[in-house]
Amino acid sequence: MDKKVSVKVCLGTTCFVMGSANLQELIEIVPAKYGDKVEVSGVPCLGLCSIDWEFSKAPYVKVDEDVVKEATVEKVLKAIDEKLK
Amino acid sequence: MFIDVDCYQVKKYNQNAYGDYFVSKRYPDEGRLIAVLSDGLGSGIKANILSCMTATMLLRFIENEQISIRKAASIIMNSLPVCKVRHISYSTFSAADCNDEGDVKFVEEGNPEVIWIRNNEVMKPEFEIIKSKTFKNRQMKVTKLKLKLGDRLIFCSDGVTQSGLGGGRLKLGLRRDGLIVLLKDKLAQEPDISSTELAQYIVHQAINIETNRQPKDDISACVLYFREPRESLVFTGPPFHQNKDAEYAQMFANFKGKKAICGGTTANLISRELNRPVTMEKTISIGKLPACSYMEGVDLVTEGVLTLTKALEYLEAGTSNIDNAAGKLVQFLLDSDCINFMVGAKLNQAHYDPALPIEIEIRKTIVKKIANILQDKYLKKVDVQYM
Repeated sequence: MDKKVSVKVCLGTTCFVMGSANLQELIEIVPAKYGDKVEVSGVPCLGLCSIDWEFSKAPYVKVDEDVVKEATVEKVLKAIDEKLK
Repeated sequence: MFIDVDCYQVKKYNQNAYGDYFVSKRYPDEGRLIAVLSDGLGSGIKANILSCMTATMLLRFIENEQISIRKAASIIMNSLPVCKVRHISYSTFSAADCNDEGDVKFVEEGNPEVIWIRNNEVMKPEFEIIKSKTFKNRQMKVTKLKLKLGDRLIFCSDGVTQSGLGGGRLKLGLRRDGLIVLLKDKLAQEPDISSTELAQYIVHQAINIETNRQPKDDISACVLYFREPRESLVFTGPPFHQNKDAEYAQMFANFKGKKAICGGTTANLISRELNRPVTMEKTISIGKLPACSYMEGVDLVTEGVLTLTKALEYLEAGTSNIDNAAGKLVQFLLDSDCINFMVGAKLNQAHYDPALPIEIEIRKTIVKKIANILQDKYLKKVDVQYM
């Protein structure tokens, strides 16, 4: 494995109140499940809520360059699995 | 110069209201500050009402500048009634009207004489004595001072100078001389001590020499400290016109003093314009708020509206030392004297989506509230610029 998968959780205002606060467990689950193949971090803002026409798709998480809309822990883990296939 | 002002008080033992009243107001546009301390006759509620009335009336008289401070003080002195039982006036006062240049007009009636300290030496200002036209034995002292950087004015109620009276070591109480010794010792140890800490120190020392540490009178100490201001800048929200981003980011970079960014988009904007990466902690939220991020040359980077709203809540409630982003922001603000806000007027429509589970206020409104409370309650000098 040469390149790590990067998971970026948006912590902007919209995403945070729409549920990224609940993605805290990713910080523990991901290293436990994937070791150092995946790296999770928060980012101040992905800037997606203001450009997405349907605003209510927050919270957003970026798995490499793919955007996960209305992200939940399950959806993010699924997206990571796709990447690692 | 910045005038660091604060007062610390304790009540007389077994009383439930303060008999001394301190009021202070800053006028940022004029670079002016007025501070008034009044000591009401007796203690408890009665004294509280008397001193509160005297201090607030005096502040009003002085602030509207239609009459001079000496005239304002004489009117109060001549009209304060006399207690039927004790035959002394209902309240005493000290008032300072100062500006950033160090010009101070000081009046006092009945309170212990003000102490002016420069380079840890007590200065001896010349007072003009004005006798009351209506009451014998009543007079006030007026003086004009020119203060320099690092000077302090300390004034207090007689609770300080008479502390320890009658008991133990100090038969005549601490007195002014004793207070001067305390102050000189403390200032020799900590030449840069803040007004808040010095006022607390004076009061605690006074309580310590009281019998059984029970204050026999209301004790208040006020300190005015003229020093270089601690400047800080809070940058929150993207500018309304995107083509101005670079310009404002440069203003942020050039600012001398402590800096904070409140807002995810804002942090990205500054990061992009100044080419400084933003990094985050390995956590997502602390205490229901998004965690802080880091950027080189910036003292604090937080999320925007939620953190500001929480910080306002803490400022209103007077809570400090909270370990989350808002707590850090409060500490950042309280550690500054002059706080500049640069507030971006651009709205993020997504914040106004009714699907959002909580009420998100408009940034401008929150900043305005924070600015007001910092100015009124915490006596900071605040400037808000919209962009």
